[in-house]
Amino acid sequence: MVSYLIRRLALAVVTLLMITGIVYGLARSMPGTPLTIEMGESDPSRKLNPADIERMKKAYGLDKPWYAAYFVWAGNVVRGDLGRSISRKQPVATLIGERIGPTLALSGSALLLTWLVSIPLGLYASARSGEVDERVVSFGLYVLYSFPTFVAALFLQIIFAVWLRDTAWELPLFGMRGDGITDETSWFASTADMARHAILPVICQSYVSLAWYSRFIHANMQEVVRQDYIRTAKAKGAGPWRVLVHHGFRNTLIPLVTLLGLSLPALLGGSVIIEQIFTWPGMGRLFFESIRERDYPTIMGLTFMFSVLTLAGQLVADVLYAWVDPRVSVE
Amino acid sequence: MTSDEPSNESRPPCQQAARGFWSEAWRRFRSRKLSMAALGFVLFLVLVATFAPAIAGTKPVICRYKGTIYVPCLAYFDRTLEPVIFAKDKFRGTYPANLAEKDPESWAIWPLVFQDPYRSVRDNEWPGEPANPARDQGAPSSRNLFGTDQYGVDVFAKMVHGTTVALLVGFVSMGLAGTIGITIGATAGYCGGWVDMLASRLIEVVMCIPTLVLILALVAFVDKPSIWKTMAIIGLTGWTGIARLARAEFLRLRSSEFVMAARAAGAGPLRIMARHILPNALAPVLVPITFGIASAILIESSLSFLGFGPPPPSVSWGSLLNDARSNLQMWWLVVFPGVAIFLTVLSYNLVGEGLQEATDPRLREARK
Repeated sequence: MVSYLIRRLALAVVTLLMITGIVYGLARSMPGTPLTIEMGESDPSRKLNPADIERMKKAYGLDKPWYAAYFVWAGNVVRGDLGRSISRKQPVATLIGERIGPTLALSGSALLLTWLVSIPLGLYASARSGEVDERVVSFGLYVLYSFPTFVAALFLQIIFAVWLRDTAWELPLFGMRGDGITDETSWFASTADMARHAILPVICQSYVSLAWYSRFIHANMQEVVRQDYIRTAKAKGAGPWRVLVHHGFRNTLIPLVTLLGLSLPALLGGSVIIEQIFTWPGMGRLFFESIRERDYPTIMGLTFMFSVLTLAGQLVADVLYAWVDPRVSVE
Repeated sequence: MTSDEPSNESRPPCQQAARGFWSEAWRRFRSRKLSMAALGFVLFLVLVATFAPAIAGTKPVICRYKGTIYVPCLAYFDRTLEPVIFAKDKFRGTYPANLAEKDPESWAIWPLVFQDPYRSVRDNEWPGEPANPARDQGAPSSRNLFGTDQYGVDVFAKMVHGTTVALLVGFVSMGLAGTIGITIGATAGYCGGWVDMLASRLIEVVMCIPTLVLILALVAFVDKPSIWKTMAIIGLTGWTGIARLARAEFLRLRSSEFVMAARAAGAGPLRIMARHILPNALAPVLVPITFGIASAILIESSLSFLGFGPPPPSVSWGSLLNDARSNLQMWWLVVFPGVAIFLTVLSYNLVGEGLQEATDPRLREARK
C-alpha cells in the first residue's frame, strides 16, 4: 500500500510539472502582457513610460523567456509561495482564499442537492423499471441532462428576475449580496440574503449532474438486480424495498464512491460559466478574469490548484475503490 | 463491466443467415423510435444549413438580369460568389428595387423569408413592407417569425444561417478529435511498452487540465479568432476520451487470433492496425465521438456566449444568447436559440445512445 502510494505520488508530481509547464507556456504566449492590457484600458495620461515598463517587467519576471520564468515560479511554489497577482496587487494565495468560500458555498450546496435528489430518484426508477412512469422520469432526466446550463440560467433569470419582478417570487439577477446588506446586518439576515442569491446558481449547477447521477444509479441498479444474490434475497422472503436498498443499492455504492472522488476538483474549482452569468465572486470567475487580464500568477495559481485537486481526486477515488471493494487491490 | 454475462459460445448458434455487423446494428438502431427521430432532426438541420440562403435572405435565389441567369444567393456561402455585375451596377446589396429599376425585363425567385442575417431590412426594401423594429420592440410577429435583435436584425434569418456553424462545429472538431484520439490510442494500445506509458501520460495530462481552462487559454492564444480556429481548438482538446477507448480496444484485440493470423501472413503493424483491428474497434469508438459532437456544440455555444466566439459577421446560436444577456426583457433572443441548441444537443445524445445500444453486445443481452 505504502509503495503504491509513493509510486502514485511520484507519477502525480511528474504529471503536475507537465500540466503547469504547458499552461505556463500557453499563458505567456497569449497576445498582450498584463502591463499592456492594463494600459489599453486606462486613459492616455496614465500611460507608463518605457523605463517603468522595463522596471515592472523585471519585477514580475516578464523579461525572462517563459521556461526560465517557469522554473522560478515552480521553485517558489515548492517554497509555498504562489506569487503576487499583477493586476490586483495582492498575493495569489489571498485571492484564492477570498474566492474559495463563495465557490464552496455554491458547489457544496449543489453537490448536496444532487445527492439528496438523485439517489431517491435513481432508486425509484429502478423500482419501477419498465413501467410508464419510469420511462417518463427517465426521459425527463435525459432531457435535463442535454439542456445547456447557460440556456437554463438565462431562462431562469428571465422568469424569476424579469417576469416575476415585484412579486414574492422575485429572485436576484446576479451577485452574492443585496444592496442593503452591510457588516452590521445580523448573521441570520445576511445568510438568508445570500441563500436567496444562491438559489438560481445552485439549481443551474446541480441539475445536469443530478440527471446524470440518477441515470448512473439506475443503470448500475439494472446491472445489480440481475445478479444471483438478488434472486436469493427475494427467495428468502425479503421485501421489495429491502431487496432494493439493502441488497441492491449497497452494491452500486462502489462506482458512486469513485464519482465522489472525481467530483473533488469541481467542488473547489467552481464553474466558470455559472459564476460568470450570475457574477458570483468565486474561483471560476477569478480564473476567467485573470485570463482576460493576462494575470499570469493568478492563472498559474489556479491551474496549480485545479490540477492538484484533480490528481488528488483520482488518487482518492482509486484508494477508496480498493477500500470499499475487498476484491480490488491497489497493487 | 459484467463478467458473468453469458458469453457468445454458450448461446445457441444463429439460425438465420448471418447479417453483417453494421446492417444488424442499423436494424437495431431503427427500432428505437427516439433515436430515429433524433437522426431525422439532424438530417433536417443538414437540409436547413444547405438551403439556408433559399430559406432566409435578401438576395434572389435565381434571377435573370440583362439577359443572363444569376444565382446571387450563393454569396451567403462565400462573398466572392456574388456576381460582379451587381457590384458594377451599384446594387449595394439591395436587390428588389434595383432589379426592377435597372432592368424592367428581369425576374427573380426570392427566398422564402425576405430577411437578412447580417443587417436590418430597411423601410420599403421589399415593396410595401416597413423596416424591421429594433431594440425591445422586435417581438416575434408574422414578419419577423422569431423577432429581431437590438439592431433590428431578424433572429429567424440569423438562426437559419447559424445552423451551418452548429453542424460544422460538431463534424469538424470531432473529425479532428477522432483522428487524433484513434491514432494515439491505437498506437498506445497496439505497441504497448514505453509507447503506451508515454501516450497514457499524455492523455492523463490533457485530461487533467480543465477543458474550459485549456480552451480559453488557446482561444486567447490565437491572434485572429475565426470559427475554424474555434473548431480546431475544440478538436485539439476533446480527443482524450476517444483515445482512452481506442487504446483499450486495441489492447484487447492485439492478442486475438485474427491479429496473430494476419501477423503470420506477413502483414506489417500499420496494416494490422488499420485494416484488421480498426474495423473491429470502430463501433465502441464511434459512440464517444457522437457524444463528443453534442459537447462540441455545447462548448462552441458557451464560448460564443461568454464572448470568446468568432467575431461578427459570423453568426452562431451562442452569440445570439450573448446578445440576450444584456437585454433580458427580449425573451425571444433566449428562447429560440436556446431551444435550438438544446434540441441539437439532445438529438446527438439520443443518436449516440442509440448507437451504443445497437452496437454493444452486452447491452443487447441486457435488454432481453
